[in-house]
Amino acid sequence: MHNNPQETERLISDPVPGITAEPHDDNLRYFKVSIEGPEQSPYEKGIFQLELYLPDDYPMEAPKVRFLTKIYHPNIDRLGRICLDILKTNWSPALQIRTVLLSVQALLASPNPNDPLANDVAEDWIKNEEGAKNTAREWTLLYAKKE
Amino acid sequence: MIETEQNDSEKKRFFKDELESSQETQLIFDKSLENKSSFLFADHSVEDVPKSQAESVIPEGNVTMQVFCTELKSIIPEMSDNICEELYNKFRDSQDRLSNAITYYFEHYNNEKKDMFDQTPSSPAPAASSSSSGTPSSQWLFTQSKRRKTYGERNIERLKPNIRWKRFIGALQVTAMATRPTIRPLKYGTELKLLKTSSSPKIYDTTGRKKSTMANYVRVFDNKESRELGRFSEDIAQTIYPLLDTDEISFEVTMVYCGNKRLSIGDNFILQVDCFLSSLLFDSSKNGYAPDVNHDFHRRSWENSKKGIVETEEELQRRSRTTALISLFDKLSLRPILKEAEDTEKINKSFTNDTEVIDLEDDETLDRIMSQDSEALEATTHNEDSMNLNQLKNFYNITQSSDSLKILPETEPSKDVFKLELRKYQKQGLTWMLRREHEFEKAAGDDKEIDSNMMNPLWRQFMWPKNMSWTAQKLEDHCEDLSEDIFFYANLHTGEFSFEKPILKTMTRGGILSDEMGLGKTISTLALISTVPYDSEAIGKKLFKTETALSDTDETFKRRPYASKTSLVVVPMSLLNQWSDEFQKANASSTMYSEVYYGGNVTNLKKLLTQVKNPPTIVFTTYGIVQNEWSKLLKEHKDKDMSEPTTGLFSLDFYRIVIDEGHIIRNRSAATSKAIMNLSSKCRWVLTGTPIINRLDDLYSLVKFLALEPWSQIGYWKAFVSTPFENKNYKQAFDVVNAILEPVLLRRTKQMKDTNGKPLVELPPKEIRVEKLKLNKSQEGVYKLLLDRAESSVRSGLARGDLLKKYSTILVHILRLRQVCCDVRLIGTQDENDEDLLNSNSFFSQASDNDIMLKDALSESYECNFTQEDLDAAISRLQEKYTKKEQLKSLECSICTTEPIKFEKLIFLECGHPYCEGCLAEYFEYQKQKKLNSKCPNCRLTISSNRLLTVDRNGISDNITFIQYNNNPKSAKIAALLRHLQQLQDSSSGEHVVVFSQFSSYLDILERELSEFLPAKTTKIYKFDGRLSLKERSTILSDFQVKDFAKQKILLLSLKAGGVGLNLTCASHAFMMDPWWSPSMEDQAIDRIHRIGQQNSVNVTRFIIENSIEEKMLRIQERKRTIGEAMDADEDERRKRRIEEIKMLFE
Repeated sequence: MHNNPQETERLISDPVPGITAEPHDDNLRYFKVSIEGPEQSPYEKGIFQLELYLPDDYPMEAPKVRFLTKIYHPNIDRLGRICLDILKTNWSPALQIRTVLLSVQALLASPNPNDPLANDVAEDWIKNEEGAKNTAREWTLLYAKKE
Repeated sequence: MIETEQNDSEKKRFFKDELESSQETQLIFDKSLENKSSFLFADHSVEDVPKSQAESVIPEGNVTMQVFCTELKSIIPEMSDNICEELYNKFRDSQDRLSNAITYYFEHYNNEKKDMFDQTPSSPAPAASSSSSGTPSSQWLFTQSKRRKTYGERNIERLKPNIRWKRFIGALQVTAMATRPTIRPLKYGTELKLLKTSSSPKIYDTTGRKKSTMANYVRVFDNKESRELGRFSEDIAQTIYPLLDTDEISFEVTMVYCGNKRLSIGDNFILQVDCFLSSLLFDSSKNGYAPDVNHDFHRRSWENSKKGIVETEEELQRRSRTTALISLFDKLSLRPILKEAEDTEKINKSFTNDTEVIDLEDDETLDRIMSQDSEALEATTHNEDSMNLNQLKNFYNITQSSDSLKILPETEPSKDVFKLELRKYQKQGLTWMLRREHEFEKAAGDDKEIDSNMMNPLWRQFMWPKNMSWTAQKLEDHCEDLSEDIFFYANLHTGEFSFEKPILKTMTRGGILSDEMGLGKTISTLALISTVPYDSEAIGKKLFKTETALSDTDETFKRRPYASKTSLVVVPMSLLNQWSDEFQKANASSTMYSEVYYGGNVTNLKKLLTQVKNPPTIVFTTYGIVQNEWSKLLKEHKDKDMSEPTTGLFSLDFYRIVIDEGHIIRNRSAATSKAIMNLSSKCRWVLTGTPIINRLDDLYSLVKFLALEPWSQIGYWKAFVSTPFENKNYKQAFDVVNAILEPVLLRRTKQMKDTNGKPLVELPPKEIRVEKLKLNKSQEGVYKLLLDRAESSVRSGLARGDLLKKYSTILVHILRLRQVCCDVRLIGTQDENDEDLLNSNSFFSQASDNDIMLKDALSESYECNFTQEDLDAAISRLQEKYTKKEQLKSLECSICTTEPIKFEKLIFLECGHPYCEGCLAEYFEYQKQKKLNSKCPNCRLTISSNRLLTVDRNGISDNITFIQYNNNPKSAKIAALLRHLQQLQDSSSGEHVVVFSQFSSYLDILERELSEFLPAKTTKIYKFDGRLSLKERSTILSDFQVKDFAKQKILLLSLKAGGVGLNLTCASHAFMMDPWWSPSMEDQAIDRIHRIGQQNSVNVTRFIIENSIEEKMLRIQERKRTIGEAMDADEDERRKRRIEEIKMLFE
């Protein structure tokens, strides 16, 4: 399976605003990723650290992505795992690291409590959206502060 | 012979008592015998040898009278001393004084002799002596000598008016048993007679088995008193009985000894039976039992083709007669001269030693005869056992070939009729062919005798023995009257006799031109036809015939109309055009033309050939047409009386019929063969490079077609060829085959050297390379699956011992494996060209239906293909999306993010999204593994690996054309072939390439794949198989041969349709996609290219899959080459060999 150096190169040379992804020195398949919380979202001004791993079968198989930074989000569980269709069944080899990360960023902007991964968060989100968003903001300040 | 007899002379029958009582004299007698080498023939040498000469060689001139007398007395004890002395004085100087003296004694001392006989009754009964080991020679000596005595007593039997002469061939001394008592003792030398007691006894029952003994019917009669005397033992009677009363062989019987007493019933007495051949046997017009061989036309009646073989009463008699003849010759020790003696001196030398009266009662003589026979037998069988196919091949190579190149003059066809230049050996061939048709004035050279000097193998040469018959002894000049003939010839199998050497004559006009492939049999034949286009003998009669034919009222006119100006050439369909093309090329005459009789283009053949002023010189037709017409006729005439057909090929007598690739008719019971045999013509020709394909019997069909009498009668063939061959008596079989073929077969090979020592044909070298390949992944999977199954099937078959019962099942297994080696897609196609499957189609489809596993393995990649509509829609979508070529050059593969996608690797999905070939393949593979549906990575449309599109890279114009992309992994062989083709095109463009396969569906696949992969600008692909119409065939072949330096021309050729006859010398490269069972088939195929006219060295590449059934097939081919298929005469052996082959395949 091809680990595409071209794609990696492009990630670095032509970065998406608000997203960085750097391959690990020892393992080019392992990326350190940071995503800025989208504006007008509870995660605004937060910087979230993620890890991204390209499996052997990439791009046939989706990359594995996990939040390292704690986050209060109905589609992301306590361990940082993300519920995102393109990372699972809807993966397509046409998708790239860049698009995956953009999707993750978009997920932050619009959480989907109807397809939850963290059930308690989702419940909270449905019952009391404002309260939940406040909690999210608190967590962001708490765990994802810039520097 | 003489020596042994001399040494063995212990007892003498007539004088037993005396001898026993005087051992001393016996010794002396023996001594004298030893010293006289020509003692036995003393009476001749007296006459023959001049006296002076005789004197000079006397070894013991000083033998005293005393010794002489003792010797004499030891022989004739009662001889008086006076006489002894007298005789001594008379014969002392003679070389053979003793025998001469005795002769003289019996001649002149009649009274004494009588006395002697009077004394003998006291001797023991001769019955005992006849069975005891009495010495024939000494006894014979006396009978010989005594015979003179009877000189005047005998009547000279008058010959019947139609018998000009009769000639002695030998004498038998026979013991007879008295059946009637006689009143007086029979006189020595009494003339007796043999008679049949009943004129036509029923000796055989209805099944042809002998039911009673012949001894009952042969009786010895006293001639004077017409009184029965006795009978013979069955053994003798069987020899004599069938020959009695024939006038062709006569017997003279003389009483030799009866113990000089009156005979009572059951007493034995001894007779000398002199055997004579009469002139009747030699009158050629009345050559007894031989079948009539003089057919002008070899027409077979309808009845004959249906009649079974039943031995008639007459045939039965004939058979017993010939058996008797053989047995008589045997008993007379009349042996054929094996090497034709030509040295007359030698003959004269041996002449005197040759004849004697054979005493059948003598065990030693018999033993000797037997041992000679068995020795001779051993000597021959020893060599024969090792005869194999190669020897057989040599054998007919030798028959003609090399000699013909030296001996035959060259005939050059007239430039007015024949445009092409013949090679030297072809001109010689033409001479031979003309001679075979008896067209001597047209053939070069003075030779008017077409038949060579070969003696008919059924005939044997015999030397006339010296006349030793009873009568001859008294009339000394009698035996000299025919002395100019030393030899006579006899065919003991048929009872024919001749003075002339029976040269193997064949009435047949025509023969077998069996030159090796590529030596130009076609051209030679056309030269023959051009040189002698019509039957000149028939021209006069022709007018008359036409008139008769026109007046259709004549019902009795049975003869088919004679197409005297037309030669019918029967060829395999694939060669039809080649033949007529060749004829166009060669024909220089404006009046000669050819007609193709095929596909109903000639409505009234009979009219065209017999009633038109200038009928076609050649009518070409195919085996199929002939067979078709024949079966139609058979159907029509099934119930009705067989009447002559009124239309078509069978309504005519052709001047000449030529069958090309004549081995097609080798199975005489096949419909095609029967049909061909029933065509009628004056001259008949067989062209074949391989007259024997599998068995010696293959030749029979050819012999039958040529009507080579008598071999064309199956009985003869069986008796002289098949049966000896089956009994492993190879030498005899091959000798006969050789003799049959020698005059009618001409075979030259490419390796043969002409008179200048150059090979007949110098062909550029050919190189055959085996390229071993590995199966690709998908092939390998399927192969393993099938192999497992085949192996278990064979194993169980072997275990149960019914392997051959399941032969067809196993063949199917094998076939599938072979197919997978070529391409997985071949499985399931029912290839009409595959012989293995002919009878097992039903089995195959049934098996594959139930075969889910196999289906899975196969279907994945080959199902859910585009329908034409889908494909069109997808293509138009693409064409809307991409209108300019530039667009295609900046597409990105969203899988690997490569931009732009390499043009060659560009693949589109139905939705129009572009990808790299490799990325997409990987994706399909991955999805398949994960059992996930494949979707377009971009738009998530469900996609299939069989519904892909690509740009037509071979498009010449600037417009973009999209075509379906074939993503199936290329089978190993196709990939290799493509590689070779590209290399070839790179190194030298415009080459012609021939690709052979035996699977016509494989040719389809090849056609598709090659045309996708190879740019149309530089490649042209032709496909030639059995499905083509005649017209298409000729177009393809002529197109293929046109040289185009820009284009590589590839001819995909089916083995069955194009393996024989085609001339493809424009190509010098060939690829054999799959191996054949029979190596000779492959050789044939290669020879399409490697033949006269080929200018370049020939490269042949055979693709073989490593470690597969194909490699084992190669081994079997090898085996076939060494063992040879011709030895398969034995059904059991064939069976064994098949099992071995199957084992080889699966070991």
